[in-house]
Amino acid sequence: MKKLTYLLLILFCLNANAQEFKLGKVSIAELEQKKHPKDTAAVAAILFKKGEVKFQYIQGEGFKVITEVAMRIKIYKKEGYDWANYAIRFLPGTGSIKENVLYSDAVTYNLVDGKIEKTKLKSEGEFEEKMDRYWSRKKITMPNVKEGSVVEFSYRITSNRIGTLREFYFQNDIPVDYVEYKTYVPEYFIYNSKMKGFITPQINIEKSPKSFVITSKERTGSGFNTTTTNFSTDKIEYIETKTTYITKDMPSMKEEAFVNNIDNYTTSLVQELSMTKYPNEPLKPYSTDWDAVVKTIYDNDDFGAELNKTGYFENDLKAVVAGLTTQDEIVSAVLNYVKSTVKWNEYYGYSCNDGVKKAYKDKSGNVAEINLMLTAMLRSAGLKANPVLISTRANGISIFPNHSAFNYVIAAVESNEGLILLDATSKFSTPNVLPFRDLNWMGRLIRKDGTSEEVDLMPKKASNNSVTMVYSVDASGKITGKLRYLRTDHNAMRFRSEIENVKEEDYLEKLENENEKIEIADYKRANEKDVKMPIVETCSFTGANLCEIIGEKMYINPLLFFTKEQNPFKQEVREFPIDYGFPFKDSYTINISIPSGYMIETLPKSTALNMEGNIGAFKFISQTTDNIIQLSISHQINTPIVSADYYSMLKDYYQGMIAKETEKIVLKRI
Amino acid sequence: MNYKITRFVSLFFLFTTTFIFAQKSDYSALIVSDSLKENADAVVRLNQIDIVIASQRSMNIKTKRVVTVFNENGLDAIDANENYDKSSPVKNILATVYDAFGKEIKKVKRADFKDVSAVSGSTLFSNNRYIYLDYTPIQYPFTVVFESETETSNTAFIPQWMPLRDYAVSIEKSILNVSFPSNLGFKYKEFNFSNSIKKTIYSPTQLSYTATKILAQKEEVASPSISNLFPRVMMGLELFHLEGVDGNAKTWVEFGKWYNEKILQGTTDLPEETKLKIKALVGTETDPIKKAQIIYKYVQGKSRYVSIQVGIGGWKPMLAGDVDRLGYGDCKALSNYTKALLNVVDVPAYDVVLYGGSRKRNIESEFVSMQGNHMILAIPVDNKYVFLECTSQVDPFGYQGTFTDDRDVLVIKPEGGEIVRTKIYEDVSNTQVSKGAYSIDENGDFSGKIGIVSEGTQYNQKFNNEKLSPTEMEKFYKDYWSTINNLKIKKITFKNDSDKISFTENAEISAVNYGNVAANKMMFALNAYNPLKESVKRIRNRKNPLEIQRGSIDIDEIEIALPVNFLIEFLPQDVEIKGKFGEYKTEIIKKDNNNIVYKRKFLLKKGLYTNKEYDDFRLFMEQISRNDNAKIILTKS
Repeated sequence: MKKLTYLLLILFCLNANAQEFKLGKVSIAELEQKKHPKDTAAVAAILFKKGEVKFQYIQGEGFKVITEVAMRIKIYKKEGYDWANYAIRFLPGTGSIKENVLYSDAVTYNLVDGKIEKTKLKSEGEFEEKMDRYWSRKKITMPNVKEGSVVEFSYRITSNRIGTLREFYFQNDIPVDYVEYKTYVPEYFIYNSKMKGFITPQINIEKSPKSFVITSKERTGSGFNTTTTNFSTDKIEYIETKTTYITKDMPSMKEEAFVNNIDNYTTSLVQELSMTKYPNEPLKPYSTDWDAVVKTIYDNDDFGAELNKTGYFENDLKAVVAGLTTQDEIVSAVLNYVKSTVKWNEYYGYSCNDGVKKAYKDKSGNVAEINLMLTAMLRSAGLKANPVLISTRANGISIFPNHSAFNYVIAAVESNEGLILLDATSKFSTPNVLPFRDLNWMGRLIRKDGTSEEVDLMPKKASNNSVTMVYSVDASGKITGKLRYLRTDHNAMRFRSEIENVKEEDYLEKLENENEKIEIADYKRANEKDVKMPIVETCSFTGANLCEIIGEKMYINPLLFFTKEQNPFKQEVREFPIDYGFPFKDSYTINISIPSGYMIETLPKSTALNMEGNIGAFKFISQTTDNIIQLSISHQINTPIVSADYYSMLKDYYQGMIAKETEKIVLKRI
Repeated sequence: MNYKITRFVSLFFLFTTTFIFAQKSDYSALIVSDSLKENADAVVRLNQIDIVIASQRSMNIKTKRVVTVFNENGLDAIDANENYDKSSPVKNILATVYDAFGKEIKKVKRADFKDVSAVSGSTLFSNNRYIYLDYTPIQYPFTVVFESETETSNTAFIPQWMPLRDYAVSIEKSILNVSFPSNLGFKYKEFNFSNSIKKTIYSPTQLSYTATKILAQKEEVASPSISNLFPRVMMGLELFHLEGVDGNAKTWVEFGKWYNEKILQGTTDLPEETKLKIKALVGTETDPIKKAQIIYKYVQGKSRYVSIQVGIGGWKPMLAGDVDRLGYGDCKALSNYTKALLNVVDVPAYDVVLYGGSRKRNIESEFVSMQGNHMILAIPVDNKYVFLECTSQVDPFGYQGTFTDDRDVLVIKPEGGEIVRTKIYEDVSNTQVSKGAYSIDENGDFSGKIGIVSEGTQYNQKFNNEKLSPTEMEKFYKDYWSTINNLKIKKITFKNDSDKISFTENAEISAVNYGNVAANKMMFALNAYNPLKESVKRIRNRKNPLEIQRGSIDIDEIEIALPVNFLIEFLPQDVEIKGKFGEYKTEIIKKDNNNIVYKRKFLLKKGLYTNKEYDDFRLFMEQISRNDNAKIILTKS
């Protein structure tokens, strides 16, 4: 009796403690709140999020993972309405994997005339969609959401995927006031746990004995003998580890300039099964090293076997490479052939879906079909070609060696000058100029024997933007000139995809409005389709708003509309590396004729800024001959990724560059 | 022990591949041609309207509309709704939603449509109802097939056919079929036709059109109303029926007479009590305008406007007696009620039918038919009319603002209808006169006082400012003086003279660092209070004409006190620009070393210009904007 009382007391205390973070207990104060106290710009905030992961043994099915999460979200502004929608990906399952998602307690709270108005989510606000062959998504759209609403819901995911636990986020792009996450893991499963991000939750671990009961059936007797079935039940005892993670007042993740994938830095918990430890069985390792991960991928039918098929293209390929001798010629010819023959269907993956043969026949395929086909053709043409597994920028960077760490495959040719990386999914990609999505640190090259090695995906060669401008200023301040703009490699690829499907007229109109309403004429593009060549634009322009006349003086920003005016780096400190994706050099050669009757009063002086460690440099050279001002300006960044340690140096560098670029040429009436 | 642990390793492979899910069908969004998708938020794949006029008292309209929506902005193009009442029922209505591949994802039956009162605020009494599709898209693109059938006895109003109704929507195919008895005097009129429209049948009993492939139009600033740009067909009958009454009209006189006698008759009766009250209120006043002012004020204080969806709510106004009792009504009800009150004190007044909106639209005077979406009142005074907007509780007496000004309207007089032009606010009467002063101290800090008087249509833009909340007000003036950084509003007061229709703002403001100080010099733009802020976008190949709907004139006279220890190094020159779009003049008078007067006058003319003239307009405005930014340079003495 005494024992019971204690227990009740404890329960009661727990309840009292947790009351604030219980669904259904929305307070008037929460509804009245107009903005987040710590982040007044926040469009919404997660007031609390409570998650629990438990393992449940079901006879005949094995262990299931039950994830239960409850959330209360405050909506401050219209821009935060998306937070009244929630979606969960799951595997509805055919075969052994089965997951299901159940939402409950979904209610919107509003304050109407000082009273709390509750609107429950009805079935019409709940949708299920199929995303692809495997994944589905269950979405809810909360009803009656207004600025000031509080929404609440909980969901329960039942899954028998125990290999990876769902990533649990403590942080988000809105502030999160309180998060509690508990995992209850039986001794049979050993997980590798890694925290991503820069904030560590408070962690508390407790171990306690647990048990479950299983029933076994045994039949005795045979032939004409009566059969008897004996049932026996076993009580299985085990140790359960309860881990509690608590965080409070997590700031919102803010997008900054040149961040790869902000998810890589967002505080979250990733857990992957490293081994199982079943009674009476030896330890069984699951998580492994990269070599083993790659090997299993290679051995799969959707990968290795597809790579080794050649019959479907052999005759066609002969014609493509006929007469070609150099490696570069062959690489280009094969790459162009695949690009022009098989169109990417926008699906990712390193495994073939319908297979290379069908993709070739249908002229459409996923990433694996296209790039494994490319690899096979290059091999067939006598080159040392191999596939390279990569993770796209959107897929992030994985902490553990595992299969989902990759989501994409490209091709590589070994040459005397090093690896040539190829991706035939993009129209505008060329050898060693991969689509931007591919530029994500390291990939893994797989050889024919199944061995693998790490490959640096980041470009080494600078992509250029080279601008040549010749212009004259007349006495009314009107500027007339000619412009040539050349872009190479990644800059060219990016530009080509930007202008794809944009009518020239629309492109120019936008350009004119974004550049002080200059008027553009004689516009031409060279090498638009020839992707191996730099793309070059030429035009003439006039602008009435490019120069300011005050009194006897004329003020001109020599770079005109190319002047950089804003420092992309605004924050005082930065924790994420600065990821440009590729090294680059922007250069400007400018010739300016000044109007007669004017003389140069001030000309910005030549200067140079160099960053430590050869990270980058800015040069500004100015000179005059007669009435012509000549300028040569360049800004280059030599490393695709700059460590956050250099942030303040980089910020100062930009500040210095902007200060120089915004210095004006001053002309004075004679 | 027989634990069954799910094998998961091989399953990882499954997650990394995907496949295309496709189903070919007519409603697939994937088959829409690129040219139709260009600039389009939605594509009307098919819009077939079959109108069957069986007799003078029976019209049946069937609609089948297939719309593919590419993004949120295209949702309006679905237009899946109908108005109805007891006498004009919706017989069928159905919407089916298809995903991008043409697979059906939802069927919305009549019961699942939202069915609401057409009057805002559902507690109000009304027979008019509005049924609409309330669908939240899960993903784009998707396609909606909307089918409906309505029936009505009101043949006076045959909906106009307008295949293209909005910008950023393209039309794959649009069909109109109308059939009618040959003896009802069916007539039609085409506007803004292009070669994408074919008249397929025209006989004594039938009219059909097919429009194919009308590409999406880009909206261009300062374009005329779409009814003057996009193709449309107006239709009507000489023998028609409305609200239980047959009609017959070939001219506006006949139409007006019929409307007045058959529709309006008997709607203006008032209780004796109210009549007595009104008479007492007017007292011994004999001047009709003064009487009308008293009554207008009474209506403004007593009644409130309830909006009814445009084009519905019946053509017969609510009884004046009901408005008197309930204190609310729509535009027809309130106009008619005011008319009834005026009649009590022997002030004649007529109902006026028109299109309301700041973009002016005329009643088509060449086409006698039921038109318009709004009603106001006209009081005849010395061969002219004073127009009263009866839905507003705040508009000054006789003020038309920008909602009903300068357009052709139908005045319904007992002797017949008449097309007249409403009040035109002339360019020079739409004034904003600013008089004030500011001083700049040696740090460049600004401190000033200003009085701004707005009249004509400029009154309309300002006179609600006194009702703004403090934050809205701050936003308004920070926008208005957006060229003054660090603006602080010390004080602001308003005076609304509704007799003179003149609104005055008196403000005291300050700002640090208005003058840009460098070394021993200081620089700032003299025109601190009223520089042209509007930036006219460059359009490379403008299609639409340019219409400046209303002209205006701004006059500024500002005294400027310069810091004492500075000398004027440079003073901007006086400028005068005259052109077809308007006139601009600045004058800078140096009174002494530290005091100057800045004078500015900017007249913008109302006008309709060709697409080619747009660029001239842009350059004209840029020139003004540059001059408004002219800076003075001071040197420390």
